[in-house]
Amino acid sequence: MAQIRLKNVSKRWNNFIGVDNFNLDIADQEFLVLLGPSGCGKTTTMRMIAGLEDITEGEIWIGDRLVNKLEPKDRDISMVFQSYGLYPNMTVYENIRFPLKVRKVPAGQHHERVMAASKMVELDDFLQRRPAALSGGQRQRVALARAIVREPNAFLMDEPLSNLDAKLRVSTRAQIKNLHHTLKRTTIYVTHDQIEAMTLADRVVVMSKGLIQQVGTPMEIYDRPANTFVASFIGSPAMNLVHGEIHNGVFTGDHIRVDGLSTQVNGPVTLGFRAEDAVLADSNAHIEAPIYSVELLGEATMISMRVAGELVSIKVGKDYRAEIGDVVRVNIAPSACHLFDRSTGQRIATAG
Amino acid sequence: MSDTAVSQRRPLGLNIIIIGFLVVWVVLAAFPFLWTVWGSFKVEPDFFSRQNWINAITGPFTQRQTGSAFTGDGYYGAWVTREFWRAVANTAIVTVSVTVISLTLGTLGGYALARSGQRYAFWILIAALVFRAMPHITLVSGYLLPFFELNIWGVLPTSIIVLVAINQPFTLWMLHSFFLSIPKDLDESAMVDGCSRFEAFRRVIIPVMWPGVVTTGLFSFLLAYNDFAVTSMLLSSDNQTMVPKISSFLGSVQEQGNVMFAVAAVVSATVPLFILVLFFQRQIVSGLTAGAVKG
Repeated sequence: MAQIRLKNVSKRWNNFIGVDNFNLDIADQEFLVLLGPSGCGKTTTMRMIAGLEDITEGEIWIGDRLVNKLEPKDRDISMVFQSYGLYPNMTVYENIRFPLKVRKVPAGQHHERVMAASKMVELDDFLQRRPAALSGGQRQRVALARAIVREPNAFLMDEPLSNLDAKLRVSTRAQIKNLHHTLKRTTIYVTHDQIEAMTLADRVVVMSKGLIQQVGTPMEIYDRPANTFVASFIGSPAMNLVHGEIHNGVFTGDHIRVDGLSTQVNGPVTLGFRAEDAVLADSNAHIEAPIYSVELLGEATMISMRVAGELVSIKVGKDYRAEIGDVVRVNIAPSACHLFDRSTGQRIATAG
Repeated sequence: MSDTAVSQRRPLGLNIIIIGFLVVWVVLAAFPFLWTVWGSFKVEPDFFSRQNWINAITGPFTQRQTGSAFTGDGYYGAWVTREFWRAVANTAIVTVSVTVISLTLGTLGGYALARSGQRYAFWILIAALVFRAMPHITLVSGYLLPFFELNIWGVLPTSIIVLVAINQPFTLWMLHSFFLSIPKDLDESAMVDGCSRFEAFRRVIIPVMWPGVVTTGLFSFLLAYNDFAVTSMLLSSDNQTMVPKISSFLGSVQEQGNVMFAVAAVVSATVPLFILVLFFQRQIVSGLTAGAVKG
């Protein structure tokens, strides 16, 4: 059993704050993704859990053990590094076997366990090669096999897919998801790619500047972003954010007027809506603005317009054709609108 | 095949220049050594002939004195009469000790400095560089009086310690930069896989570092092997290593034949270096092109 609990964990270097007051309970067998832009403290958080980075303040518990002062080797975790960290002087077989060897697992079990791990990641044909003779994807799988061979309490993965090409990334992502399902171990996964986070996670932790912005399931984060940072980070394209004023349930701004919103909020706000929630209208529309650009995506067409100083994207049918400069009219369902406080960026809870 | 294709495409004139340059260079580089090897089998009036330099090649005096064109007298005199083997043994002790001690301290220290995030690591390295840049003799003159007072002058361990002290900054620098070229991820994955810091160093880092260790070891070896300043000042004549011993042969020219002892000894001292370089050339080349160590 490996719940991982972080209590008020902070990391500071002199005056620079890497991670600030991080509180989180990670359930046993959960797939947790730490998501954020580079420099947000997500990798630092993972390295603190692994024991590769000292903790300035706070407590980290793995299972029922306080691990603050434990060496990485005593925490019973395994980790996949962004650059894989394979041992160049050993064959693939020896690489995978290394954790068993150092941890003095009885030699009789080694072969069986190495073969089981290599089978899981489909490496059987490469066992006698050295890492230098492998492609990026194969190296990545060696790193995975080395992590799973020991069957530790928890897996930590630090952007394991970021060095792979787009196609391989999709198939390896599926493989990781499947491995988690098979092995049923607590997994913490660091990424800056919101699609990876959405597809893999049971729960996502969105971080920015060392602070947790929101914790929730992928759908919660997508549907109810806690602030403008999360809203602009999740989804492809990101949520449209428009600054304006709201009075009596009517949001107004340059080129935009949306009615039917909550009447409890008044004053300057930021309105958010997703590209796919906007629909084309004939007249009397919420948004009326000239087209800034048209992008054909294949399954849909993306048009963008300048509304209240911001570039707003909306998704329309794939057969839609228009020229730059044409005026389009767009309606947004009030239920698909999100309101954020203009100064703090925090979500304003509304009944609707 | 491809070589001939390339050379055929080159104009003839260029080829002649290239080959001519190589020949001149090889002759310039190898001549002094070949000359010495040849001459070491002659007697002094031939090798240091005042009448005609051709004598050094044909050897009429050698013929007259020993009855053959070549003689091993120089080697016999040096090795047996003047006990050059003692100097060889001393050199072996000094060089091996210096290399082993330098490498042990150098790998541990270089690794620590390479992985330390502290600012003082930089200043330690700069200080090491300063001491490295000093002429060796400046250190030795300061040592002399204390060593006499402590009564440790003239013995091998003393010069071993001094040579290690002189050599250490260099090994530290060199190994430090080798360690820097090894990604940190390697230590960290070893530590997560179950190694302590020292085990990660021993089982993962050192095997990857091997070419660097061999190269640095070779340089340490050569420093100790070739040293004159320290060993000539700090060793008594009974404990001399090869280089000061050769110098002492040269310093007593009044007795005929001694110079030839020196020549024979020089040849004896060079042979091991050839063997060493031939044996380790692969490691030296891969060590000098470091950075090839990838994670």
